[in-house]
Amino acid sequence: MSRKLLLEKAHVENIRLYDVYRREGGYRSVEKALKMAPADIVEEVKKSGLRGRGGAGFPTGMKWSFIAKPEGVPRHLVVNADESEPGTFKDRYLMEFIPHILIEGMIVSSFALGSNVSYIYIRGEYHWIVDILEQAIAEAKHNGFLGKNILGSGFDCEIYVHRGAGAYICGEETALIESLEGKRGNPRIKPPFPAVKGAWERPTVVNNVETIAAVVPIINDGGEEYAKIGVGKSTGTKLMSACGNLNKPGVYEIDMTISVEEFIYSDEYCGGIPNGRKLKACIPGGSSVPILPANLLLTTAKGEKRLMNYESLSDGGFATGSMMGSGGFIVLDDNQCVVKHTYTLARFYRHESCGQCSPCREGTGWMEKILLNIENGKGKMSDIDLLWDIQRKIEGNTICPLGDAAAWPVAAAIRHFRDEFEWHVKNPVECLTSNYGLAHYADPIHVPVVA
Amino acid sequence: MADEIKTFKVTIDNITIDVAPGTTILNAARQIGGDVTPPAMCYYSKLEGSGGKCRTCLVEVAAGSTADPRPMPKLMASCRTTVMDGMVVKNITSEKVTDARNGVVEFLLINHPLDCPICDQAGECHLQDLGYDHGKAGTRYEFKRRTFEKEDIGPYIQLHMTRCILCYRCTYVADQITDKRVHGILDRGDHAEISTYISKAIENDFSGNMIDVCPVGALTDKTFRFKNRVWFTKPVDAHRACENPKCCGKATLWLRGDEVFRVTARKDEWGEVQSYDGKPGWICNTCRFDKKKTSNWTVEGLSTISRHSVIGANKYAGLEMPNDTIKKVLNGRDPKLLMNIHNVSGVNNPNIHLSEIDRPSHKDDFAKSGEFVKGEGESTQWGLPKE
Repeated sequence: MSRKLLLEKAHVENIRLYDVYRREGGYRSVEKALKMAPADIVEEVKKSGLRGRGGAGFPTGMKWSFIAKPEGVPRHLVVNADESEPGTFKDRYLMEFIPHILIEGMIVSSFALGSNVSYIYIRGEYHWIVDILEQAIAEAKHNGFLGKNILGSGFDCEIYVHRGAGAYICGEETALIESLEGKRGNPRIKPPFPAVKGAWERPTVVNNVETIAAVVPIINDGGEEYAKIGVGKSTGTKLMSACGNLNKPGVYEIDMTISVEEFIYSDEYCGGIPNGRKLKACIPGGSSVPILPANLLLTTAKGEKRLMNYESLSDGGFATGSMMGSGGFIVLDDNQCVVKHTYTLARFYRHESCGQCSPCREGTGWMEKILLNIENGKGKMSDIDLLWDIQRKIEGNTICPLGDAAAWPVAAAIRHFRDEFEWHVKNPVECLTSNYGLAHYADPIHVPVVA
Repeated sequence: MADEIKTFKVTIDNITIDVAPGTTILNAARQIGGDVTPPAMCYYSKLEGSGGKCRTCLVEVAAGSTADPRPMPKLMASCRTTVMDGMVVKNITSEKVTDARNGVVEFLLINHPLDCPICDQAGECHLQDLGYDHGKAGTRYEFKRRTFEKEDIGPYIQLHMTRCILCYRCTYVADQITDKRVHGILDRGDHAEISTYISKAIENDFSGNMIDVCPVGALTDKTFRFKNRVWFTKPVDAHRACENPKCCGKATLWLRGDEVFRVTARKDEWGEVQSYDGKPGWICNTCRFDKKKTSNWTVEGLSTISRHSVIGANKYAGLEMPNDTIKKVLNGRDPKLLMNIHNVSGVNNPNIHLSEIDRPSHKDDFAKSGEFVKGEGESTQWGLPKE
């Protein structure tokens, strides 16, 4: 049983309410933090080795230290609760069940960053969570943890919840800021980075919900204590939202030392694949990270057991590895079709492209059309190479990472499952009613012996 | 030493230039001119905030600066990246850039109608130029091209959304030059479109400038549409004392005989509106749409037309040849262009009997070519007679 930091109290009855949360030890970190110097809090977060939980895994303490501090200009903390990556639903769970841990983390982080007005930018589809958060904010304010002169420290802080209108792109930090300002959610061209010119041209830090919530145990126990959990540069605990062909899909808090195999098959976590089926493939970190076949998922190309952490999941680069991403763990059994799956993702990215820059606007639609043809048995062999070429020309050439996010799943699917694509082309009738199955995707990888 | 203005040294395709801090790579390349200048479909130096969207101006930054000479990991949009001292940029000398740019051009063309013969913008269309420079002969796109319903946006401007490449320039014009923007981008992704919300007509004294900034045939002049092809008309510079204080009153008239077919703002060699005293020379709708007689104007003379675009391809007295940078780009190597062969080899000379040519032209022939050409009174470059 690994240690839980965020979800430890998630099942206490009425933990959603302030009184219960406070009784269970909530808001201790605010009391502690307000007696510290803001720079020391940043230092503590740096020591903890906490990495951004939104997908990129950038060290949070370092991000905080980049914030510009011009005289007389307000700064802002914006919490990114736009969680719209397919397969990711960890923030939803956290906000729905223990909203106060987010509010608590935000007060501490706002104090560290000097933000007197902080925002939660939440996706419009989470409309009921807005009510939960606003209730939590009202309770916190009523009890003196928000508003003017918090706990007599002289620090003022207000938190506002801002609802998005249902666009994936608004999870990209600069598009989120545009949307927060009331504009069209188009990503900005960087530089300037939000840490220098963010919302209303003021220095802004945008952090994921889970990242901010993790600040609470870091302050309570100290950064060094937090860094002891986990392995290497993957410190602390991570929320994983597991879905797909699993016996027990759901949100799990892991300490990043367990193996992928254990996560999928142990009864403590996902409990294996239902109906006696076999593992075929998995996207370990949300829809935009590369898909891996079963053999490469469970072991790295070097033949080592793959662990559930940033380094191990990305071991081998994109050639044989993937990414931790946002923790949206999607499992496909041998009854799933990778071509259809890739088409579904391509359709999503085509629909969510903001249309600002040419490669993404035009390329995503093109890939979707070709994939639909292959899926429907109308594809050609040359289409597979064409797809490869299109994704190659999108990746890295766009303003924001949506282009990369659209290109990577297609690239990985062709890289690892090319014969399944070819099977679709060669069997245009059969592919409509049956699928390629497990094939060789779970076969042991031949690891060359190094003398 | 306060008077000394600090400049940054930047090397673009082996050509080094000193520019003011804050200059973008694209503008530094424009100061060099010629082939090293990346194409730009969305950036417009007179419109604040424009650029970064079309991705045709991507360049490789091989060294960030003298202080930090690491290369930048991704290709950068040169229109929005400012130079650093000692920066080394590769544009046409980078295979990565050429590959990416060809890709972008392909993306821009997959949904763009390829009906230049019936498009009013043909001849002065930037996408057409880009297609000539970077496009392929065929397309790999096998699907139905995207189309949009036609929308009427008023008596002066024709909106043809199907041709739009979403450069956003017209929205910047509306924001920065007209009183109020009543159009914008609706929807998103590949179905995003320029539109006035609920078909509201665009009526503003300066709305016509949207036509000038549009790089393609998405916004065209309704008073000129289908009246003539641009290459049949003769551009002359003219001015009038315009009552509108914001209008510069300097324009280009496009004549056929004495008839004024069209009035536009004057454009510079990058296809942008010219500046006067540091201010962009936008013109008002009265000058553009209502003053269509030569008697309304004081004609100054023939316009200078850059080689850029089909209209500059021939016959204009004011034709300006671009700055030829190829020798510098290739570090002093001076390869012979294909056309020079005509001067060197006798095979194309009707006065020389083929039997008298003892072998195919050899590289040694080129060494002699300078003297040969001089003797014949021809320029080495194009094989044209010297004036």
